[in-house]
Amino acid sequence: MKKKEFIVITILLVISLGGIALFYIINATNQPLYVRVTSQGEVVTILPLSEDHTETFYTPSGGYNTLTISNGKAKMTDADCPDKICVKTYPISSPGETIVCLPHKLVVEVVTGNS
Amino acid sequence: MNSKAYRLVILSLYVSMALILSYVESLIPLPLPIPGAKIGLPNIITLVSLLTLGWPLTLLVVVARVLLSGFMFGGGFSIVYSLSGGLLSLLVMALILHFTKDGFSLILTSIFGAISHNLGQVIVASIVVQTSSLMLYFLILMFLAIPTGLFIGITARELMRLLDKTTIFKRLNS
Repeated sequence: MKKKEFIVITILLVISLGGIALFYIINATNQPLYVRVTSQGEVVTILPLSEDHTETFYTPSGGYNTLTISNGKAKMTDADCPDKICVKTYPISSPGETIVCLPHKLVVEVVTGNS
Repeated sequence: MNSKAYRLVILSLYVSMALILSYVESLIPLPLPIPGAKIGLPNIITLVSLLTLGWPLTLLVVVARVLLSGFMFGGGFSIVYSLSGGLLSLLVMALILHFTKDGFSLILTSIFGAISHNLGQVIVASIVVQTSSLMLYFLILMFLAIPTGLFIGITARELMRLLDKTTIFKRLNS
């Protein structure tokens, strides 16, 4: 590998890793965290991340997504979307982290109290 | 065989090879809980095609591959994401190759192509679900695109080195 390639790759690695680190630093907070569920662009419900909870959300077309909050982490535990990508997404617990179900246009994100 | 027919044969070969690579890729699950992370095997063909046929015909290769693999292996809606990623990636790679002409690096072209593929998909996904909070998701995908883009770039470079020894492309420009 040439020197030029090595330099550009290093810069890109620093940008992406630095961006991820910066994202967590900027969003770090001691305030209570909530889980905001958005369907078709509209907020459906806001749940506290500190309480264990399981709820199933239905889309207008009849599909469903089951969201489970336990031990301060939110995870999509079941869905009938074709790709099941939301179910495979890692559990979220920090502000700004998201779980997206594209076929159902459902977004689950961790937010702080005031936003 | 005249040059036009010869070009058509090469073009069809690229489409079928890219299609098979899409299929092979769908058989390899990445052990990562990040949705949308892929190796990008069909990009090997896109790169080789860009270098040998130029961008107008490569556009055909990309669109045909995305539509066919979408209908055969994916859901109907996945075509929109693949197409937006594929087209933005092609645009970026074609521009890099155009402006760096002789001193281009296939590895860097591949990495930037992989990153812009992710960018295209995240932009369309943001529009579809009407959210602006996919920034972290994009940064994670960008980080993953560096090793996969590197791998694809090296593969494409070695493939071109082997293909240049053959007479396959000599007849393309005659």
